[in-house]
Formats: sequence, structure tokens, C-alpha cells
Amino acid sequence: MWYGIGNTGLPNPAAAFVEVLGDATANLMFGAADIGQGSGTTMTQIAAEALGLSYEKVRVTWGDTRVTPDGGATSASRQTLITGNAVLKACEQAKETLAGVAAAYLGCQPEELEFSQNTVTKIDDATVTMTYKTLMAEMKAAGKMAVGAGYYNPTTTTLDPNDMSGIPYEVYSYATTICEVEVDTETGEVDVLKVVSAHDVGQTINQSMAEGQIEGGVVMGQGFVLMEEIEVSEKDGSIKNPIFSKYIIPSNLDVPEIYPILVESEGGPGPFGAKGVGEPALIPIIPAIVAAIEDALNVQFTKLPVFPKDIVAAVKEKEAADKNKNN
Amino acid sequence: MNKISISLNLNGTDRTILVYPNRRVVDLLREDFKLTSVKEGCSEGECGACTVIFNGDAVTTCCMLAGQADQSTIITLEGLAKDGELDLLQQCFLDEGAVQCGYCTPGMILAAKALLLKNQSPTEAQIKLAMSGNLCRCTGYQKIHAAVKSAVVIYKDKMAQGGESID
Ligand code: FES
Ligand code: FES
Repeated sequence: MWYGIGNTGLPNPAAAFVEVLGDATANLMFGAADIGQGSGTTMTQIAAEALGLSYEKVRVTWGDTRVTPDGGATSASRQTLITGNAVLKACEQAKETLAGVAAAYLGCQPEELEFSQNTVTKIDDATVTMTYKTLMAEMKAAGKMAVGAGYYNPTTTTLDPNDMSGIPYEVYSYATTICEVEVDTETGEVDVLKVVSAHDVGQTINQSMAEGQIEGGVVMGQGFVLMEEIEVSEKDGSIKNPIFSKYIIPSNLDVPEIYPILVESEGGPGPFGAKGVGEPALIPIIPAIVAAIEDALNVQFTKLPVFPKDIVAAVKEKEAADKNKNN
Repeated sequence: MNKISISLNLNGTDRTILVYPNRRVVDLLREDFKLTSVKEGCSEGECGACTVIFNGDAVTTCCMLAGQADQSTIITLEGLAKDGELDLLQQCFLDEGAVQCGYCTPGMILAAKALLLKNQSPTEAQIKLAMSGNLCRCTGYQKIHAAVKSAVVIYKDKMAQGGESID
């Protein structure tokens, strides 16, 4: 599977603010809403890495429209790429002021400095070094402030309405998902036994959370193939099964063994080479399960979900057809 | 309708409150006692988000009336950490990355806790069964299962070194 990251052929920027304070901690602010995928943690990691502070020194305010800049929707697998780059740019701006003051204090050029682990050090001479706290005291003495604002808009073009040509996405994520299923031809029940889902995420920012996204996507996709159907009333368009007793989603007893694999390719345009994994996590499992069922039964399915009754019907139909052929 | 008096032991403290008898326990906990770790997901006993430990069992509080809580012992997630130190299960959920949106998490941890209070070395199948009433839409359950398993292992190690009991 290959899948575009960000909104399709539309501008969809996001922004971030940062300030490094006198006690060598930072305030980071961005609009991106964390709905459990972990953007709060990811952006904190990105800022900590960019500023050379440890993770605990970065305080985050997100998704508060009183103070945070717009981050756009948490959708389209876009926040790591777009808000992530905005955070990086904001930090780089703050760091430019910091590096100027540090260079003057240490007697070298700003480009010769490395910011890491709450310290500023000359890259080719580790003895030329100062703590972040000293740096912030120097900043104060010089009457300077370490602030940064950044925004990022992925490079896309609108699509030509005549032939849909253009650049809809700045980057694509790639994935391959393999699964093993067991099909009971009598009851039509499908057990998904094992799933291997490999995702090219560019550079991983947080391994555990990226794996969590993939595992969650696999299970949501499994529900999409085997269990979940929104029944809409033809009379008034209302949803007929808006409750969990009628709209069944996978429980822990349904789920397979899942092996997420993070493939770190080079050159994602996101922070440190990252791309996105939100939707890619969900999508490839869907055709993979259907293909596995088709492989087991040697029949084809053309609509989702594939319920046990559909499998039983397909098996019967095939048996009847095979019989006819043999007669 | 007249209010009735309910007395219960809530997270280790005896409490008495006047409520209408048709108040659901989930509302009693969330609104009257402000224990907002108790989540309401489906309101029909299907998702497990509203799980608490009620007289030692994991139960869903959206389907219970306040009267049923009289003279009971209830533990919510707020009752697990002791002196600012997380419960072993809470720590394992953090360490394994078993939390995404977090909506299922209090119910998951309490379902696991109720199991461990009764059976301190459950098999994988017993863990899965005990937590099968708790739905999660985010994690795919794998890291949640890993968190409970790791809590069991750490707990066994602690016991082998003469540590204290699970509660
Ligand atoms: S809210 Fe009680 S089980 Fe879902
Ligand atoms: S973490 Fe979101 S429902 Fe479980």
C-alpha cells in the first residue's frame, strides 16, 4: 500500500510557538489535538531534541484556542509531518538567538555549537562548553529572549479538475501487511491468527507509540472486514445500530498476534525524516484479511464486511458450481 | 420521589450521601463524588469504561442503581495509587505504552486489578477472559495484555523476595 500524508491537494498548515525560559526549561505551544495517538509526546520529543533540552524540561500546552496557534485537524495522518515541522522551525528560531549569545560567551561561531542534554558544547572541542542555565543567565544579562514561532505547509498543488494532475501530497507512506486466517466453512466464522504489518514511517519519533498505532489500526481494520456495519434506516437516514450490543467491535478475545515492523527509510520531509502512520496503520490489513479468506476458500468477495453468512453463502454457491461442472 | 441515604466504603473511606434511588452508580461516582476516572461509554453494560471494583468484583456501574451501592465497598482508579506512588498495574500500563486515548484505561486497570486480587498468578487465558468485557478502540489490546502480564511477573518476583501483598 502507498498512502499520501496530509490533506489532498490543499493547503493545510499548522503552527507552533516556543519560548526557552530563564530556568532552562521551555514552553511549547501548538494547536494539534492529541486524541491518543501521542502527538503531545511526539512534539515534546521533537522540541527537546531540537533545543538540546531533556524531555522533562519541555512543558506543553496544546489544543487550547485561547493561546495555541491553529494546528488544523488531527486527521490525514498529518500531525507528525506538519505540526512536527512547525515545532522544529519554532525551536530553530529560538535557537538562533541562543546560539548567538552562546557563541559570544564561548568565543566561537554559532555554527560550531551543539545543543544537547541541557548543555551547549563546541563540536570539535568538548572543553569549550556551558550549561543551559549559564546560557540563560547570559541571555538575561544581554536583555535577549529565546522565542520562536514556526508554521509549515506541505508542498502540494491543487489538482487540475480536468485530469486530476498535480501534486496531491508532499510524501507517501508505504506498508505491507500479511495475515493468516482460519475459516470455518460450516459456520462462516473467521479467526485472524497472525498479522505482520510493516510500515515505512521515514524516521520513527517514538517507537512504542508508532507500534501502538499499527496494532490499533490492525484491530480496527479487522472489525471493518469481519464485524462492523453501520445500518442506516432507508426511511429517515437514522443509524439503526448505534449501540455496542448491535454494532460489534473486536474485543481482546478476537484479536490476532500482531507483529508491527517499523521500516526506517530515509528522507521523509517531516522532522528528522519522519512521515506519518495514522491511517496507513489501518488500511492494508483490510484487503489482507479479505485476500486471506479468498485464498482459503478460492472464492471472491466484492463488498465489506464479510460476515459469516456471506462466507457460508459463498461456500455453498461454490460447491453447487463445482458440482455442476463435474456433472 | 424521596432521597435515600447510602453508606459505602469508597476508596478506603466511609462515606454517606443522600441520593435519589434511581440515580445510577456511575453518576453517583462521577458527579456526587467527583471521581471522574469512571468513564461512561455505552451506558448499556457493553464497553466496560465505567468499571469499578465493587465488593471485590469488576462491575459496570452504568447499569447499577445507587441503592445497590449501599453498604458496599467500591474502589475506583483514584483509590489505587498509595502515597503518590502508582499501583504496579498503573506503572506497567505506562511502561508498556498501553494507553492511547485513555478512555478505556481506568476500566481496564480495574478489571485487571479485580482479577489479581483474586488470582495472583493468572494464566494468559484467564487474563484475557477477565478483561474481555472491556473494549478498546485504540490500542489493539496487545500492549494492554503485555502490561498486565508484566505486572504479574513483577509481582511474583516481589513476592518471592518477601514483598507485600497485592492490595
Ligand atoms: S458505560 Fe458502562 S459498560 Fe459502557
Ligand atoms: S486507549 Fe482509547 S479506547 Fe483504549
